[in-house]
Amino acid sequence: MSGKIAIVGAGPSGCYLAQALLKKAPDLQVDLVDQLPVPYGLVRYGVAADHQGTKGVARQFARVFERQGARFFGNVAIGRDVTLDQLRAAYDVVVLAAGLSADRKLGVPGDDLPGVYGAGRLTRALFEHPEAEDLPDLGAHPVIVGNGNVAIDLLRLLAKAPDELDGSDLGEGPSRWLAESGIETITITGRSPAARAKFDAVMVKELAKLSDVRIEVVGAGDSDDATEMKTLEALSAIHGHGAGAKRITFRFGLTPKAVEGEGRAQAVRFASETGEEVIPCTSVLTAIGFEAAPGLPRDVLISEATDTEAGRLAPGLFAAGWFRRGPRGTIPENRADAKALASVILDGLSADPSRVGCEVFDGLDNIVDYAGWCRIDAAETEAAPEGRCRTKLATRETMLGVAGARETTK
Amino acid sequence: MKITILYGTETGNAEMLAEDIQSEIEADHEIAISNLEDFAPGEFDAECFYLLVCSTYGDGDLPASAQPFADAMEAEKPDLGAIHFAIFGLGDSEYDETFNHGPKKLAELMIAHGAHQVGERVAHDASGSDMAEDLAFPWAEAVIAEVSEKLGEAA
Ligand SMILES: Cc1cc2nc3c(=O)[nH]c(=O)nc-3n(C[C@H](O)[C@H](O)[C@H](O)COP(=O)(O)O)c2cc1C
Repeated sequence: MSGKIAIVGAGPSGCYLAQALLKKAPDLQVDLVDQLPVPYGLVRYGVAADHQGTKGVARQFARVFERQGARFFGNVAIGRDVTLDQLRAAYDVVVLAAGLSADRKLGVPGDDLPGVYGAGRLTRALFEHPEAEDLPDLGAHPVIVGNGNVAIDLLRLLAKAPDELDGSDLGEGPSRWLAESGIETITITGRSPAARAKFDAVMVKELAKLSDVRIEVVGAGDSDDATEMKTLEALSAIHGHGAGAKRITFRFGLTPKAVEGEGRAQAVRFASETGEEVIPCTSVLTAIGFEAAPGLPRDVLISEATDTEAGRLAPGLFAAGWFRRGPRGTIPENRADAKALASVILDGLSADPSRVGCEVFDGLDNIVDYAGWCRIDAAETEAAPEGRCRTKLATRETMLGVAGARETTK
Repeated sequence: MKITILYGTETGNAEMLAEDIQSEIEADHEIAISNLEDFAPGEFDAECFYLLVCSTYGDGDLPASAQPFADAMEAEKPDLGAIHFAIFGLGDSEYDETFNHGPKKLAELMIAHGAHQVGERVAHDASGSDMAEDLAFPWAEAVIAEVSEKLGEAA
């Protein structure tokens, strides 16, 4: 089967989709377009720096380019460099797999005070995303609001002693920031009771390896549901762990009502089962989900979709991964999703040979192709210092320089 | 030799490795490959040698694509007394307490139904520095040699 397919977003969903499409139809032309000069999205910038094993899926994605014939068009922003309509006219099928990168806000008074930071903003800075803001001073007593895996990632990274980051790709700046953070306590709060917390039990169990913490789990309660019991067992296994310097407290059943403070977050007021509770803090880290970043009109597209469940937005236009489903599910769910979507796309594909495909990018400066990414990858791996597996290039300019992106690629 | 590669995977690494093993040995053998989720216990064939490639997920559990097979084995209780298999595992030593428990469980399941394991179970560590294929190709060669000898066949 022939046809030209553009996938917007070269993260895990986009790459798994390209893999599945080309497995079923090796003659397709599949082009992955990303606004960053580098591919792999959240595998590079979301999966925690100390979870290198999980990043191993990138080897599969490299194959998609190296053996399955997909092409990479990095540093091309749809909606800015090329409009979505232009892209749709150039390709038989366009798939939006751009993810959701904006932090969902608490939606309570004070949620925009200085000292309130979203998990996405913080992890982007920690993992050296080129568009990251600076790493802020969290003070000695940050409170994490949220009970998903992202919240646990943040907690674990903030609690790690420097030598526990050996083997990671955490950069020099973020490593120093962590070592000098001065954090004494971290309180992590969830709205649900412990039994219904969203994090995976293994993520919690991993905290028992931390060397410089004391962990207390308050009010975990009980349950007789099998999945819930797994979560509770994991929490009870870490309760009382350690005699280190950083005190970690898990709290549940707390719904944020307001962030309070004079010109800066100094406390969070929660509603609890028994009334209200105010937890003093030096910063508030929210990890309560993600939403679409400006650029593509996701809300409109989803609300006008033909069949969101199947990923069909409009004729020749599809959505994949978090962009379709919302910020739920990790790598396996997105892989399963991508395989299902590949079948839907191929079932309805009719190729029009007059489509111009990647010629729509002609005239754009500084496109990074897959070979360019390989040069970045090699430079980053070579520059890794003792105790690290990579030193990320942290700015767009350095990436473009190393990639040797040509002016006006043809 | 007739060889079937069966893989159990959650995020695709075991599938890629299974395909790599296939490419590596297909010149010398008659190879079939299948995802465990598409393979029924009734299909086991005594003429064939089975190479199992399986990862670990969750908390030391079988990966999603191996689960239906495990359920079918429990339900159908096939007699695998004439079946020979070898197994290669994928895991991550970050999960130290349950490192490579998925393939361990799969091997135990095969053995519990009478199948004969050839060679040792070899484990890849996603946090280690080895590439999976660098461990898996020599493993495949060794277990194929061993089973050829055992079954009195020319390799
Ligand atoms: C959520 C999660 C849980 C995991 N649990 C284990 C585990 O308990 N034991 C282990 O050895 N490896 C574990 N792993 C590592 C995987 O087995 C390893 O990454 C493997 O390469 C995945 O292969 P697959 O893509 O074929 O599923 C886990 C990985 C993830 C992401």
